Amino acid sequence: MYLRAASIHIDDSVLIQQSQAGDTTAMERLILKYQNRIHNVILKMCGNPDDAAELTQETFVKVIESIDKFKGRSSFYTWLFRIGVNLTLNHCQRSARTAPRSLDAEEPAPDGQTRQLLKEFLTDDRAVDPAVLAQSRELCALALQSLLQLEEPQRTVVVLRDIEGMTYAEIADVLNIEIGTVRSRLSRARSHLREVLEAMLT
Amino acid sequence: MKANPNLDELLCSFMDGELSPRQRTEVQRMAARDQQVGRRLRQLQNCRTLFTALPQVEAPSDMMEQIKLSLERRTLLQEQPVAPRRSAGTLHLVFRKLVAAAAMFALLGVLGVVVYQIAAPVAGPESPPFATDTGRLQPIGPDWTAVPPTVVADAGFSGRLELRTASFASMDAFIRRAIENVALSDSTESGAAGDRRRYHIVGTRENINRLVASLSSAWQSAGAATLYVDRPGDAPGPVAVEAVTPDQTVSIIARNSTEASVEAAEAFAVMNDLARQTPGDEILAMIGEDTGSMLAFAGIPKPRMTKPDDPTNTTLASPQGKPNASLTIVLLDVE
Repeated sequence: MYLRAASIHIDDSVLIQQSQAGDTTAMERLILKYQNRIHNVILKMCGNPDDAAELTQETFVKVIESIDKFKGRSSFYTWLFRIGVNLTLNHCQRSARTAPRSLDAEEPAPDGQTRQLLKEFLTDDRAVDPAVLAQSRELCALALQSLLQLEEPQRTVVVLRDIEGMTYAEIADVLNIEIGTVRSRLSRARSHLREVLEAMLT
Repeated sequence: MKANPNLDELLCSFMDGELSPRQRTEVQRMAARDQQVGRRLRQLQNCRTLFTALPQVEAPSDMMEQIKLSLERRTLLQEQPVAPRRSAGTLHLVFRKLVAAAAMFALLGVLGVVVYQIAAPVAGPESPPFATDTGRLQPIGPDWTAVPPTVVADAGFSGRLELRTASFASMDAFIRRAIENVALSDSTESGAAGDRRRYHIVGTRENINRLVASLSSAWQSAGAATLYVDRPGDAPGPVAVEAVTPDQTVSIIARNSTEASVEAAEAFAVMNDLARQTPGDEILAMIGEDTGSMLAFAGIPKPRMTKPDDPTNTTLASPQGKPNASLTIVLLDVE
């Protein structure tokens, strides 16, 4: 997981004030600070690298165009992700309408080694080493594949929590929902994900 | 262990650090005491690890350049003043359409009035028209409208034709010759007062119309011609047909009843008034040049509500020889 803004120590509020005053360098710093994280979230949500790049670009264009309207009622971080997530959800809905995914499409079955690694992540008798995942590109592909099988609302909370590392309060702010809704939706999404992954082993 | 939604929510919140310290302690105790809870907690933690440990993907290296290019494209597009021009064009088109629609409605309204004047059914007279012939030349005073109308037998036509001319003497001579030529000298009384000459002619509609027709060639020398058609009975005021033409006059006199003549006069009055008010004098020119079509239009027999014994229920003109028309020609010197 990213360590948020670990390498850039200038506070967001300062950069925002400078950007609103017309300082393009400040805006570039904000973009550089968040571009990888917003791109990573969008890619996990939509599953397509080209679309993710375009949506990331569109997100920052909207941020630049709307920076004067940002009043600081929420944090810049959640405001930025709200723009990116909304753009991505709209894109996913358009894509689902124009090119619905075939329910009959056969996903490639995991090979023996990948199957064994996946079993370790589904075990309940001991905790697994996260470094195992880095050893198998196929296992990563399976995880992403299972993520894309969730409905968009469930997928979004899993991505924002487990991949971006947001708190429940931040997720609620980004999605404009109650924290209780975040809690229940996240719990159901994880249960669903486990069922999807178990189905891959059978 | 089967999923328990409430337990899963609690365990998820525990994993995500969203519980209070006391709640965390409770969950830890519960997981330690209950083996099933502990196993479910590990299941959820391992599953979550599968996603938290996914490698991060960096944004494309040219992201900043792409953002700048996108902004430039948008700026260029916004600089195109397409919207204002389209807006102005749309407003102009809407304005033109409104003006056209208003003109169309106005024209339809005027035409409707004209058609109604011509074709609307009217009630027939309750009783045969009263007719007398005073046969007395009325002196022409300064108040032209004060001259009492002359009504002849058979409820025929009664009216005054006012001709204003700058060639008073020649026009007066022309009218005298015309009266002689149509053999109406015996039934004509004339008189003069100041700059006016008055001819009171009584005869049949056909004879009067022959006289009017013979005046056609001299009509143009009259600066203005106005025909006043008397209404039947006690109806107030005559119908004034300004800028009347010889053809219109003939058409009005030729009607087979006083009411029909009055209605025709009213129709021509509206038509001529409309023509004068229309810019360009196009309709006026058409009326002036028209020799048949408009006259035919104005001469369409009107539907009439009649009774079986209605003496006006006939389309034939009165027999010749019986005076049923009275026309007073007033010649005014305007020089």
